[in-house]
Amino acid sequence: MNAIAAAGYLESLLAGQPHLPAASPALGWINELRAEAVDRVGELTVPSLRDEDWRFTDISQLTRLSFQRAQALTPLLPADIERFHIAEASNRLVFVDGLYAPRLSSIAADSGVVVTHLTEGGAEHAALIEAHLGRHANFGNNVFAALNTAFLQDAALILVPRNTTVSGPLHVLFIATQAGVASYPRCLLVAETGSAVTLIEDYVALQEAAYFTDAVTEISVADDAQVSHVRVQREGTQGFHIANCAVSLARASRYHSVSVALGARLSRYNLNVLQTGEGAECSVDGLALIASRQLADTHTYIDHARPFGISRQLHKCIVGGAAHAVFNGKIMVRPGAQRTDSAQSSRNLLLSDKAYIDTQPQLEIFADDVKCTHGATVGQLDNEEVFYLTSRGLSDDVARKLLTYAFGAEIIERIPVASLRQQLAQTVLAQTSGQP
Amino acid sequence: MSAVLQNLVNQPYKHGFVTDIESDVAPRGLSEETILMISAKKQEPEWLLDFRLKAYRQWLTMVEPAWPNVKYPPIDFQEISYYAAPKPKKKLSSMDEVDPELLRTFEKLGVPMHERAALAGVAVDVIFDSVSVTTTYKHKLAEVGIIFGSISEAVHEHPELVKKYLGSVVPVGDNFYAALNSAVFTDGSFCFIPKGVKCPMDLSTYFRINTEGSGQFERTLIIAEEGASVSYLEGCTAPRFDTNQLHAAVVELIALDNADIKYSTVQNWYAGDESGVGGIYNFVTKRGLCRGVNSRISWTQVETGSAITWKYPSCVLLGDNSVGEFYSVAVTNHHQQADTGTKMIHIGRNTRSTIVSKGISAGLSNNSYRGLVKVAPSAEGARNYSQCDSMLIGDRCSANTFPYIQVRNNRAKVEHEASTSKIGEDQLFLFAQRGIGAEEAVSMIINGFCKDVFQQLPMEFAVEATKLLGFKLEGSVG
Repeated sequence: MNAIAAAGYLESLLAGQPHLPAASPALGWINELRAEAVDRVGELTVPSLRDEDWRFTDISQLTRLSFQRAQALTPLLPADIERFHIAEASNRLVFVDGLYAPRLSSIAADSGVVVTHLTEGGAEHAALIEAHLGRHANFGNNVFAALNTAFLQDAALILVPRNTTVSGPLHVLFIATQAGVASYPRCLLVAETGSAVTLIEDYVALQEAAYFTDAVTEISVADDAQVSHVRVQREGTQGFHIANCAVSLARASRYHSVSVALGARLSRYNLNVLQTGEGAECSVDGLALIASRQLADTHTYIDHARPFGISRQLHKCIVGGAAHAVFNGKIMVRPGAQRTDSAQSSRNLLLSDKAYIDTQPQLEIFADDVKCTHGATVGQLDNEEVFYLTSRGLSDDVARKLLTYAFGAEIIERIPVASLRQQLAQTVLAQTSGQP
Repeated sequence: MSAVLQNLVNQPYKHGFVTDIESDVAPRGLSEETILMISAKKQEPEWLLDFRLKAYRQWLTMVEPAWPNVKYPPIDFQEISYYAAPKPKKKLSSMDEVDPELLRTFEKLGVPMHERAALAGVAVDVIFDSVSVTTTYKHKLAEVGIIFGSISEAVHEHPELVKKYLGSVVPVGDNFYAALNSAVFTDGSFCFIPKGVKCPMDLSTYFRINTEGSGQFERTLIIAEEGASVSYLEGCTAPRFDTNQLHAAVVELIALDNADIKYSTVQNWYAGDESGVGGIYNFVTKRGLCRGVNSRISWTQVETGSAITWKYPSCVLLGDNSVGEFYSVAVTNHHQQADTGTKMIHIGRNTRSTIVSKGISAGLSNNSYRGLVKVAPSAEGARNYSQCDSMLIGDRCSANTFPYIQVRNNRAKVEHEASTSKIGEDQLFLFAQRGIGAEEAVSMIINGFCKDVFQQLPMEFAVEATKLLGFKLEGSVG
């Protein structure tokens, strides 16, 4: 794709930006942030296969289509989205095509946590928001994060006060209902000192035509706080999903993340975890289960900037049909980040002749007293395991499906929310059974 | 402990002397005239000149690669002398006529240029700056049909072979430095093992850069015909200069059906001084093609020298059941930078590859492993196992691992493992308990760390490599 076409593409995406309502006076700086992001989009170009960061993910099929921001909220009834409900969730924020849907959302009054969105509750928490929103997800070199910031309007805000343990997960649901729409979901979670919270970020669709989701999530975990982050990407089969998530971990904080990518024609998830305090701990797990002509790309970057950090990562891909999975996991150990303990593993299962995988675990180490390992495997089901199951009376077909399911279930089981775990287990079972 | 290690890692370079010998050095700069001059000096046939010019024209359109994880000031390609050769007195017919100064140089480096019975048969081709000075055991090898000597001789004596294989593995426009090499290469070794012959002795090339301001661009071509096998060794040193010198070599290996090539390198170019002044830029393209069924190519390298190493010995596994192997130890100290690894391209069925890479970084150095394992859709049943371990000595160096794994066949199996460690206080304590001092303990631990690779080296080289690591990392305690 030539540069001119690419520039035109970004301009067309920005077309609706000037019509955004201005931010409330208390958050006047957001208008400047947006303007800055618009300028940055103007300076950046659409990534191509020539960019090292995108060399395996061809987004030309995305740039061939044009998308506009949703003009109006699709009227949905609570019954329409009932199947997406998560029983344990005490709070639910629903965004339809990127716009906040108050009638579908339900916010518990006394859960001790502030769950709101930018246009409504922004003014009340202006100082905290200013300290975090747009501060973690850097858009200087990331055109999609810049686009999202340019369209920053209805952000989901979750502010967990000091020493508060939130009972029940918070569910943030993003629903795509209109064809040809570009939506810019935004989520900010601030967990203050000693707090604990579980966040479910959920992307679903009620339609099958092409659309584009460009999401940004920022998570700040203060000293001794604990965040569990479940991310489920089950976009429509023709959807495009590009997301950036930036996590900042203060001293002795903990962050556990499970991300599951099932849907979308093309999806890309960048997860950056920065350990800014000593003794921070994170586990970053992921599963991509794709088939037909899907592409799922996961890039993670775990930055051990301070000593005594711990990180664990297990990423799995199950690839069928003519699908293509990409994984790039970088572990950085900065100078002085002694006693870092990091383990990373990328496991990949190819189910068909045409499926393929590009995996790239990376280690960059600038400190000597560290323990870092990584491993990657690409393969197929073990014939001995299949034989074992068939010797117990299972058909070859059932044995293979069961093993495939078990391969994926290892990640699903790490989701701390029982009903979601069951739901996803069913989805994985259905999808693996559907494999040729 | 850190004080002990500091002493251990600071040991002077022992091959840094300059031989005072009358040399024929081409003026600096690169143009089509330079290439015509080199070609004329070597009285090359027309086709080779065309090959060079084609490469040069392609090179002009290319840009220097920026992706390696190394930093250096831009190289001025017009500031390099592309040809330097010791002035020959006359045509040599035997060893005795070699310039005694040269003989002394190589004696000093421990390279046997005399065919002495005592030196248990290693045939050596000696390359001094741009030209091959001598080849030992040539006649003995010829008895079994092996052609071994400099590539310039081979161009005249066996043009059909050179023409057939030169550039067949590394095309002229393969990459920036390969194109530059194809345009200006001056000499190198040529080795041809005919059908069914097992080479009776190890073959070896010793490279020496002597002239300041010259670059070395050698070209090595090894062909093993059906059922042939050969073990080939390469060693390199250079004097100590304050300027950086460019060494851009190309090595091509071709293995036909059931052939076996083992290529071992001990690279000890001058690495620059403690503050990173001087040293060789070692930008090398090495590639082996397993063309026939059941063929095998094995790369073993011990990289201790060079200011910057940029090198990825690769195997293209085209023949069914072919095997590629890569064993590497890369040691960096002071300001050295190494970005090295391998590429295993699986194309044939049931192809197998093994990668074992050990990186040791000390001082302010930067040591990266970069590797590619690619399984094409046709590579049914392909198998790869990779292991990359790094050891850091000191907290100001870095160790990086960048493996690329691309699998397009669902009956292939690829495994990659990497780890990073340091020499622990507890390990040294254990040695101390048993009466072994810190220095010896470190050397033993490092040798143990590198054992998997050293085992692959031929005997003479294994001894040399162990010693070299010793030179590099040993010293007097306190």
